[in-house]
Amino acid sequence: MPKVVYVHPDGSQDRLDVPEGTSVMQAAVAQGIVGIVAECGGSAMCATCHVYVDPPDAESLPAVGADEDEMLDCTACPREPGSRLSCRIVLTADLDGLTVRLPEKQR
Amino acid sequence: MAQTIEDFTSTIHLQDLWEDPYPIYRQLRHHRPVAWVPAANRYLVTRYRDVVHLERHPEIFSAAEQDSLMIRVMGRTMLRKDGAAHLRERKAAEPALRPRAVREYWTPIFRKIADELIDGFYERGEADLFTDFAGPMAARSLAVVLGLHDVAPQDLQTWSQAMMDGTGNYGDDPAVWQRSDAAAGAVDEAVDAAIASLRSAPDESVISAMLRADDPLTPEEIRSNIKLFIGGGLNEPRDVTAVASYALLTHPEQRTLVTADPARFKDVFEESARWIAPIGMYPRQTTAEVELGGTLLPAGARLGVMLGSANRDETAFADPDAFDINRRDRAHVAFGGGPHFCLGSWTARAQVGQVSLPTLFRRLRGLRLSDSEPVRLGGWVFRGVLNLPVRWEP
Repeated sequence: MPKVVYVHPDGSQDRLDVPEGTSVMQAAVAQGIVGIVAECGGSAMCATCHVYVDPPDAESLPAVGADEDEMLDCTACPREPGSRLSCRIVLTADLDGLTVRLPEKQR
Repeated sequence: MAQTIEDFTSTIHLQDLWEDPYPIYRQLRHHRPVAWVPAANRYLVTRYRDVVHLERHPEIFSAAEQDSLMIRVMGRTMLRKDGAAHLRERKAAEPALRPRAVREYWTPIFRKIADELIDGFYERGEADLFTDFAGPMAARSLAVVLGLHDVAPQDLQTWSQAMMDGTGNYGDDPAVWQRSDAAAGAVDEAVDAAIASLRSAPDESVISAMLRADDPLTPEEIRSNIKLFIGGGLNEPRDVTAVASYALLTHPEQRTLVTADPARFKDVFEESARWIAPIGMYPRQTTAEVELGGTLLPAGARLGVMLGSANRDETAFADPDAFDINRRDRAHVAFGGGPHFCLGSWTARAQVGQVSLPTLFRRLRGLRLSDSEPVRLGGWVFRGVLNLPVRWEP
């Protein structure tokens, strides 16, 4: 099962085994990871599941879609080149070991 | 102890909740967080963690409530559907309410409406911001966003109130039904007229989006959902505008912070929606026997999901009764959550946080509460300030 590493703003980490087909947001919410709020439950409508993905992981992700791009302009913490909505990152075997950084706040 | 709590829940009167629900909510959170409250004829879910949990499990905590008064008044709207049936209708409306549409189309119109309303009373040096600004601002904005271009804002406010009174008519008062039925009929006529004109001249509005969706909504679906949006898109921005203005007028140190840095009106909006959630309660119904917050709920149990209490939960928010735009705990649930997360959230943020509040506090110099009458608050299903008499130096 692919692993995902969630890095909190204080540097501490949570590592989760995430079934393929599950989003980085869904896995975080199911395990109660603080820092992913995900108000809208995955509709790309709330911008509260914002994460930062650094190179080289960032290159292995699918391109940012139109709805995601729009919502990333509405995040509580500044948008950076590696900004993504974690509801739009669905785990595959290729993404094993993906590391996402959590922002200071989601609202 | 258990007996004492039963005694307490059975003595809760709706009038007490209407006047000040927060001390009652605190008791419930501490002693019976999922409590059968006879006066409400529901289990009230008062803790933050339980509210968030049930929002994440719509398959157990269903929005499709049986014998719903909302359905009686409005027909079967998307807010009383689950799953794919809900999503289809929501997606049809969504393009008109996403952040980009709000920024490009609606915000400039909101600015114009706010300025016109203030122009209308500016020279008087006094007004009731609830009736003279917050209400008409919300109504005029809503008419444009929905695509009801020929509807008078006052009519929209009347229809909204009549339908909301109907959805809360648990006492089966025939006069209330008569008013809500009349309002629903008037909305049907207005929507049919709007559909006819928007078919030939499409625009960025909600009704136009519903007509142009990949899977377009039928006129009947549009009529029901527009009733929902009139019920849910008017009083809420009105009430947050009035509550936020009241909060700033009574917290001068925080007012100083935001007038020095108007970008912080965003924080005022969020904290006002947390502090006095405009929608204090919404219903859900269990689809199976389930345990929640230490209470075993039978299948079919009617729940009152108490957003007004969850937003004051001391385990989620430090000093929860205080209005504090600087608080660190900011994940309030005023917009609900999950599939039914407020579709109008971005419209409301722009209308209230980016336009109404900054414009009022910039243009009305020396804005202060008038001593002509006290500010009153009321409500628990819906809560807000009921009047806001103010003065300024023209």
